[in-house]
Amino acid sequence: MRQAGKYSGFMMCGGISGRTGPHSLPLARIKKIMKKSGEDVKMISGEAPIVFSKACELFIEELTRRSWATTLQGKRRILHKDDVASAVMATDIFDFLVSMVSETASPSEDGTLPEEEETAGSS
Amino acid sequence: MEDDNHGNNRLNGPNGGSPENPCLNNNTPASSCNSNINIHHNHNHNNNHNHHHHSNKEQDRFLPIANVGRIMKKMIPGNGKISKDAKETVQECVSEFISFVTGEASDKCQREKRKTINGEDIIWAITTLGFEDYVHPLKVYLQKYRELEDEKLNVPKQQRLEQRLQQQKQQQHVVQQEQEQQSIPNSYSVYSSTSLMSQPTSFITHHHDPAFSLHFSPGSIQKQLQPQDQIDSVAHW
Repeated sequence: MRQAGKYSGFMMCGGISGRTGPHSLPLARIKKIMKKSGEDVKMISGEAPIVFSKACELFIEELTRRSWATTLQGKRRILHKDDVASAVMATDIFDFLVSMVSETASPSEDGTLPEEEETAGSS
Repeated sequence: MEDDNHGNNRLNGPNGGSPENPCLNNNTPASSCNSNINIHHNHNHNNNHNHHHHSNKEQDRFLPIANVGRIMKKMIPGNGKISKDAKETVQECVSEFISFVTGEASDKCQREKRKTINGEDIIWAITTLGFEDYVHPLKVYLQKYRELEDEKLNVPKQQRLEQRLQQQKQQQHVVQQEQEQQSIPNSYSVYSSTSLMSQPTSFITHHHDPAFSLHFSPGSIQKQLQPQDQIDSVAHW
């Protein structure tokens, strides 16, 4: 694009695509997920999904960074689900995710079940 | 009850059931078929439909895996790779994160007898749940967003349009000038080419109205404009 208008710095940082607009995560979808979180969630301001779009980005970044550390520890270059599980176990603020990552029977399309041989984490 | 009738007697979703659909399975309980998405819920694995069903359901509950994957990729070196199951797991974790934070924010609103969850509530909940590190970048982000929205509210739309048209006109002006100079017959050379063209140029520009083609596709502008309308009102989407 030719013109670096006042929008370019802020709006571009999330990545622009026609569908999601200036925020890198789709706001309508975020709103849907928010509504599903509880019966009491009825009215959501316009700003809330916007805040979430950035918060989720930060969350994904942190989770990935920590997971990748486990990948490196195993001298691998491919980040796997169990690396994510390790990161969750090792991080206090990710406690709310523990039950989710410890489910072994997650249906994936190729039908393979992930094996959990090592439990990384305190016992 | 017509057991050998595949199509008619159980699908009550808006799609009904097309009798030709090979995916219909009599063994599937009717309760799971009240949404048209589940038409493809077959156990046969004989075609791509179970894949389709899987991703349809995910579409509602999760953020798109492409977006999630893109953000993840930024955090690893160029030669690193991310397995699909890792992306899916992170997808699920993000939705859980949204639910978790929204729940806290919603509780707070209830305690304070407010009906609308706003951006500050989300930030508060994020802090309370231990993600204080996010607060500063979030506030910066929100601030920038508010400034842009503010500009939209305070600078009337027509004026903004004209500002952009001005910028475009300057670009087109140069191009038009070069084009017109070749086609102007000799009799017109008395007039300066600039004055001759300034009017046609602006005339063309106004009708051309490419105003929104500058930075984003119109679809994204629409999305931008929507929050503006919502911000003032008590704001439910």
